Amino acid sequence: MFINWKLREINLKIVYYGPALSGKTTNLQYIHAKTNPNIRGELVSLKTRGDRTLYFDFLQLELGQIAGLKPRFNLYTVPGQSYYVGSRRLVLQGADGIVFVADSQRERFQANVEAVKDMAENLRSLGLNPESMPLVLQCNKQDLPNAVQPSVLQRRLGMTKVTCFPSVAIKGTGVFDTLKAIINLVVAQAQKKL
Amino acid sequence: METGISLPEDLSAQIDDILLELRRKAEAECVLLADISGQLVSAQGRLEDIDPVTVAALAAGDVAAMSELVRQIGEPNPHGSFLHEGENKSIYLFSVAGSFLLIVIFGADTPIGLMRLFVRRAAERLYPLTAEFEEVMGQPQDVPLGDFSATLADELDRVFGGL
Ligand SMILES: Nc1nc2c(ncn2[C@@H]2O[C@H](COP(=O)(O)OP(=O)(O)O)[C@@H](O)[C@H]2O)c(=O)[nH]1
Ligand SMILES: [Mg+2]
Repeated sequence: MFINWKLREINLKIVYYGPALSGKTTNLQYIHAKTNPNIRGELVSLKTRGDRTLYFDFLQLELGQIAGLKPRFNLYTVPGQSYYVGSRRLVLQGADGIVFVADSQRERFQANVEAVKDMAENLRSLGLNPESMPLVLQCNKQDLPNAVQPSVLQRRLGMTKVTCFPSVAIKGTGVFDTLKAIINLVVAQAQKKL
Repeated sequence: METGISLPEDLSAQIDDILLELRRKAEAECVLLADISGQLVSAQGRLEDIDPVTVAALAAGDVAAMSELVRQIGEPNPHGSFLHEGENKSIYLFSVAGSFLLIVIFGADTPIGLMRLFVRRAAERLYPLTAEFEEVMGQPQDVPLGDFSATLADELDRVFGGL
């Protein structure tokens, strides 16, 4: 979290993390498509030819002044492929909160587990404590026939205490609930620390 | 950077002054300072044509990728500077002590050699300030967020409601 008193801005960095193709970019695309152009910037996607995210996607949202401060949310996604470990770490730098976008399809189960492990390692390598990082779980692709129940995913990813939203990001279901939850969690946690 | 950071107004004013002076001397269009996580700290100059927040985020990504590339080829000090010369507009990225980033955007008429020189001087002046800044970042801040967080939750419901 970064507060600039001169400009009276409060900046939060929210990172969408998860295995490749779980729907992270789709979350940002939906947010970009639905929000009023007055409050959002351009959706910047650095991708390869295969439409896979290369470095990251980036979207900023800016609300009007609240209690004398103008909140700005910088949303990032990380590339899922294992060979982009460098850019995942970079994006996590300075993160205030993480949305873990899980792919609910049964056959992607192991990929989710590995991404959770990789996330914890990357956070630690940046000197951040995975336990104290504000986190929201999004169980995406709930529309698919092979999707497992969110409660099952939550348990098997060791996230039973983490706020969880079932979602269908391509339709937008659960996308804004997830975003609101992570923002509120980050701000609540920052307040508690004081 | 786990705790919240807040930039005190006096520190912020000093940083702005250095950027303004750099902008004037280097004949740049605008000058930005960001931290390595891509967080914009200050932006000075002609900002109508750019989105400084997005530029800062992308520049940080670029510098991180470049540093990794440079490390791969065996360069011991990966924190240098990167220049992209365009037809109309060019951009120069200069790492300040590996934790901050000066971003200079300039047109075709700006003399590049002089610009580099002024950037290096500005970075030297910024260095102690950014160190102070980092010290501030490491400490929990007494930020009065009480009213803010309650109102924010309502505002989020209002703005994102029904979407
Ligand atoms: N069926 C279904 N497909 C989805 C959903 N969310 C995303 N997708 C698709 O999954 C693929 C990967 O999504 P993308 O957002 O690029 O994944 P990322 O790698 O996490 O950024 C795309 O073809 C999306 O259209 C969903 O909720 N249901
Ligand atoms: Mg993606």
